[in-house]
Amino acid sequence: MTANPAPTIAPTRASASPALEAKQVHRRFGSVRAVDGVDLRIERGEVVALLGPNGAGKTTLLDIALGFTAPSSGTISILGRDPVHAVGAGHASAVLQVGGLLDDLTVAETVKMVAACHLAPLPVDTVLARAGLTALAGRRVSTCSGGERQRLRFALAILTGPELLFLDEPTAGMDVRARADFWTTMHAEAERGRTIVFATHYLTEASDFADRIVLMREGRIHAEGTVAELTASRTRTLTCTWTGTDAEAFAREHGAQVVGATGGEPTFTTEDSDALAAAILTTGVGHDLRIARASLDDVFLDLTAQEQP
Amino acid sequence: MTMTTAADRPPARTRSGAARLTGFIGWDFLRTVRMFSATFFIVFLPMGMYLIFGATSGLSDESLGAGNSSAFVMTSMAVYGAVTAMTAVSGSAAVERQQGWGRQLGLTALSNGMYMAGKTAVGLLMSVTPVVAVFAVGALTGAEFSDGWIWPATGALVLLGSLPFALYGLAAALLFRSEAAVSVASGLLVLLAFFGNLFMPLQGTMLEIARFTPVYGATTLARWPQMEGHAIPLGAEVPAPDSLAAVIMNVVVWTVVFAVICWMAGRRRTAR
Repeated sequence: MTANPAPTIAPTRASASPALEAKQVHRRFGSVRAVDGVDLRIERGEVVALLGPNGAGKTTLLDIALGFTAPSSGTISILGRDPVHAVGAGHASAVLQVGGLLDDLTVAETVKMVAACHLAPLPVDTVLARAGLTALAGRRVSTCSGGERQRLRFALAILTGPELLFLDEPTAGMDVRARADFWTTMHAEAERGRTIVFATHYLTEASDFADRIVLMREGRIHAEGTVAELTASRTRTLTCTWTGTDAEAFAREHGAQVVGATGGEPTFTTEDSDALAAAILTTGVGHDLRIARASLDDVFLDLTAQEQP
Repeated sequence: MTMTTAADRPPARTRSGAARLTGFIGWDFLRTVRMFSATFFIVFLPMGMYLIFGATSGLSDESLGAGNSSAFVMTSMAVYGAVTAMTAVSGSAAVERQQGWGRQLGLTALSNGMYMAGKTAVGLLMSVTPVVAVFAVGALTGAEFSDGWIWPATGALVLLGSLPFALYGLAAALLFRSEAAVSVASGLLVLLAFFGNLFMPLQGTMLEIARFTPVYGATTLARWPQMEGHAIPLGAEVPAPDSLAAVIMNVVVWTVVFAVICWMAGRRRTAR
């Protein structure tokens, strides 16, 4: 199966320099191509989800965007600058994946200590309030729950009021409630005009929260677009009550595939569901047709399925 | 262009490199001092041991080299505190980095060089603390050197001799990657201190072996202004004095050994 052409959307806002611009970025670790030729442009104010299975290169791409890792080849600019400088100046920041906190400090001390290392931090109280940590300010980090630690990492990320915020699997390890609270906070941040780029493998988070989804696989961008765009160009599934003889043969004849059958009801996948439906109805081999557009789950499963050689 | 609100805008005045570095050092020093287990072994244990074995033992006023026996024990305990401080600070610095704190600080305006400089400063501050504390208690309880310059000279040599132990702590952290490993490495210093002729004078075969252990070099170096390589005679036997070259060789060789272990452990980490 070959990849479908990647749908793209027009930039929503013209700007002197985009929030992120990657051109043919590669990163190899020995023989492993963690990032294998990524071209990506993210405009200021966009909320973008990086979606992909584990090992797709999301974290490495974020590391490159944050200046932690230099690309093996290709260029990347953050807000028109070199990543190290954009991050050092506090214009871009990130909520890092697990770890990265000191157990012996309190919540407020952690924010104060990191603030001490910044060029121009916001007032600590403001940041604690915005991250919903005011009540927890005196709590030792060692006694904080996973969700509370994540809010603290978020507080550290917004300490300089960055224009661009990266989140690497921000809700990993959170319970349902903490996850909902976290996204409520993120909505508020997005409304402030912040550009937000988050890596996730939760499909609902990507579809609920992002303006645009970038699907990564094996270090490359597999497809990108809105949920509607990503699912629009995909195959449809068609299920019907079958009265004909050989569904498999019929499918082959009409450029479709049988992907399953339950109780005499085969399910076909096809690029052209209208043609298949017309064929079924005119030849009378089936009735009671149900056609479904592929969901983002299908797109994602399709993506991960292709990983098996 | 963006809809960033006024409250969102960071102050226009930026903090200087010096302000950031001292801020980082201040917080990190406070953290280290506050960790009771570390402070106990680094400051209070050496002070207590000095008071028990140095100030109140029957021999405290006995003249020994260019000072008295109280001063001898005082120097020893300062060495123990300083090497423990170096080990603990460098080891926990490495563990913190491995656990992602380095990445968190990597998102700030504190450069890698500033981080290293800051941690070195914290290590030195933590090593100076037991020296100052034990020397202060020593001065108040009868430790004496024959010349005033021996005090600062001894203090400086204690710090110099403790530097290789920064690599010792780092090696433990790189090899075993846990705070527990760093604690074990600090704890092992008690054993190394015994074998290094630090807590009690050794003799015979034990002393011959001791000359090749890492704490022996640091200890003998720190005692140099007072003892000039002479050991405490036990009974009839008078151990041969160390030459300054041999002592320096001990410190240099162990520095290299620890550095090689760090280098190999670091390579193993990046190789995978």
